[in-house]
Amino acid sequence: MRESARETYANLSPVKPVVEVVDLHKSFGALEVLKGVSFDVQEGDVLSVIGASGSGKSTLLRCLNHLEQPTSGEIYIAGEPMGFRISKGRRRADSQANISRMRMEIGMVFQQFNLWPHMTVLGNVMEAPERVRGLSAAEAREVAIFFLDKVGLLDKRDEYPARLSGGQQQRVAIARALAMRPKVMLFDEATSSLDPELTGEVLDVMRALADDGMTMMVVTHEMGFAREVSDRVIFLHNGLIEEEGPPAELFERPRSERLRQFLSKILH
Amino acid sequence: MGILSRTITNNFDKLLAGLAVTLEVSVIAFVVAVSLGLTLCFVRMYVKPLRWPAILAIEFGRNTPIYVQLMWVNYVWPDLFGWPTSVFTAGWTALAVQSSGYLAETFRAGIEGVRRGQWEAAYSLGMSPALTMRRIVLRQVAVTMSPSIMNQFLVVVKSSTLVSVIAVPDLMYQALRLTSIWFEPIEILSVTAFLYIAVVFVLSNMIKRYTDRLRLRYT
Amino acid sequence: MSLENLRLALDVSVFWEYRRLLLAGLAVNFYVFALAAVLAIALGFPACLLRLHRWRPLQWLGTGYAEFFRNTPEYVFLIWVHFVLPLLISALIATKVNFPPLLSAVLALGFSYSGYFTETFRAGILAVPRGHLEAGRALGMPRRLILWRITLPQAARQMLPEAMNQLVSLFKATSIISLITVPDIMYQVVQITSTEMKPLPLYSSAAFVYFLVIFAMSTLVRWVTEGWRTRGWA
Repeated sequence: MRESARETYANLSPVKPVVEVVDLHKSFGALEVLKGVSFDVQEGDVLSVIGASGSGKSTLLRCLNHLEQPTSGEIYIAGEPMGFRISKGRRRADSQANISRMRMEIGMVFQQFNLWPHMTVLGNVMEAPERVRGLSAAEAREVAIFFLDKVGLLDKRDEYPARLSGGQQQRVAIARALAMRPKVMLFDEATSSLDPELTGEVLDVMRALADDGMTMMVVTHEMGFAREVSDRVIFLHNGLIEEEGPPAELFERPRSERLRQFLSKILH
Repeated sequence: MGILSRTITNNFDKLLAGLAVTLEVSVIAFVVAVSLGLTLCFVRMYVKPLRWPAILAIEFGRNTPIYVQLMWVNYVWPDLFGWPTSVFTAGWTALAVQSSGYLAETFRAGIEGVRRGQWEAAYSLGMSPALTMRRIVLRQVAVTMSPSIMNQFLVVVKSSTLVSVIAVPDLMYQALRLTSIWFEPIEILSVTAFLYIAVVFVLSNMIKRYTDRLRLRYT
Repeated sequence: MSLENLRLALDVSVFWEYRRLLLAGLAVNFYVFALAAVLAIALGFPACLLRLHRWRPLQWLGTGYAEFFRNTPEYVFLIWVHFVLPLLISALIATKVNFPPLLSAVLALGFSYSGYFTETFRAGILAVPRGHLEAGRALGMPRRLILWRITLPQAARQMLPEAMNQLVSLFKATSIISLITVPDIMYQVVQITSTEMKPLPLYSSAAFVYFLVIFAMSTLVRWVTEGWRTRGWA
């Protein structure tokens, strides 16, 4: 389609977006989950993605750090193609080494936390800075302590994840992702697995992160958070962007019928 | 000691020497089995062209009795491969062949049992598949599968009694030899049985306490 | 690695020549296996009930029984049963007693594996969800009825896969009975080897035969239990 979509974007804005998605398609076998999604995220933006289950929100996020391989379309992280290279006019799959390197700049927080149970909290946060970025153990520990303190869990650093509550585990997961100092943070329904009284502490951390200027993409069902913290909201329906815009517009004056139905179901 | 005969008290050192050989052959066999089992597991899971040979090796180890393997390794291998050259080596080799099949499957079950999210979290932080396997997955497998793995050591110790048949001077060999010399089977064999039971029981308890501690810490 | 020796090792003609004797030996393995299995299950079940009894001393008895036989190497126990037990009984009843090898084999393997079965049965019974038993009690069912109609039928399904694995294990264990001169397949192989001096093909064939039989058994077990699991039975 448009080989020079990037050039189009570059002409429009002099500052390169942190995330660029161009006509993204993803099928699982015969089922097409993403049917042509395009958008970009500028530095410091907080972009929320809302939509019904099965609309493709998680899949979209997981394509960004190549946990899912797109069927077609292009993804650029800080201007660099994700998961593919163009050489001699042909597109081929990128090397594992390159993909791993680019993933260092993308932080992801999962719905199931996915903390490693055989390491302490501190160990979890230190692991990637030490083994992937190549920091010394002392440096990695410093970074880990800094971010554990930021999420308010420094006192739990020598505990094993099994001893922590869901909210605490998720905050550790956020610290673990932050410790790599990524350019963008992806949140895949970060509070959906938590008991209601524990979601607050995680949302507070996310809010503080946004206030600090972190570029974030948040897939969420927490409409309050989406409305208050996002710069832009995308409503995904059946694998396509049905509507997008500033939260005030989307939530108060939804234009599409489907979005109206969705909001009435969620917000009654 | 009134219940133990002269024969036993005079020859107890020989029995203990036999016990030392038993433990020696068992430990060597187990260490080799773990390495071999891990290798077979990886080859089976990740080296496509060698998948069926690996499966064959694993299934052979699991589906043939230790005594049969012992005979085969001791009498056939030297003519086929020129090795093993001593009965002691044949002993631990056969025991290792036995256990490596079982351990390969144990490792595989463990690796497949690690939730996808654990891998994905590592990948999302930029860890390579090899690094993830080493630091994240295998460590968890070691914890979750530790009862099975350590239990296999007990199996090796119990199976090691058969190496006496190919004249490896283990505890059983010493006991049978003493019996044929001194003709006091009741005392000698009962003491031997008791020694074996005691060793296995003590090891089994140690293993249980260790694996319980692991489980407690991480879950 | 000698190619000549490899050819010798794979020389099935020796095996074919002696197939009657060897297969007769295998039949003996099956025979001992069947008897020992019956004994092991018959002993393991009451031992399991002891282990799960409310009265502590009986519990210890059951546990002691299981632990004793699980921690004893089969070969050691086999030798002991064949050589020591007859002497003890002789001393007791003041008559010379000798065990025929077959009897020793069945007794030794039967008692040995009853220890494993105790654990297998126990695991099966404990796997029955507590809620089912409590529902029975809430309905006023007497304990014996709960045991028979609720616990055991479900426990049976839970324990069958593991029990079948134990039986395959027991069959593997019958390979050692040749060591007390029971005429099983390994005994025949050793005999023939001593006269024919052809260890390579015979030992290889024995290994292969065992492999085929046991592989078939364990594949069958796997296939059956997979079927149960997918249908939600076990």
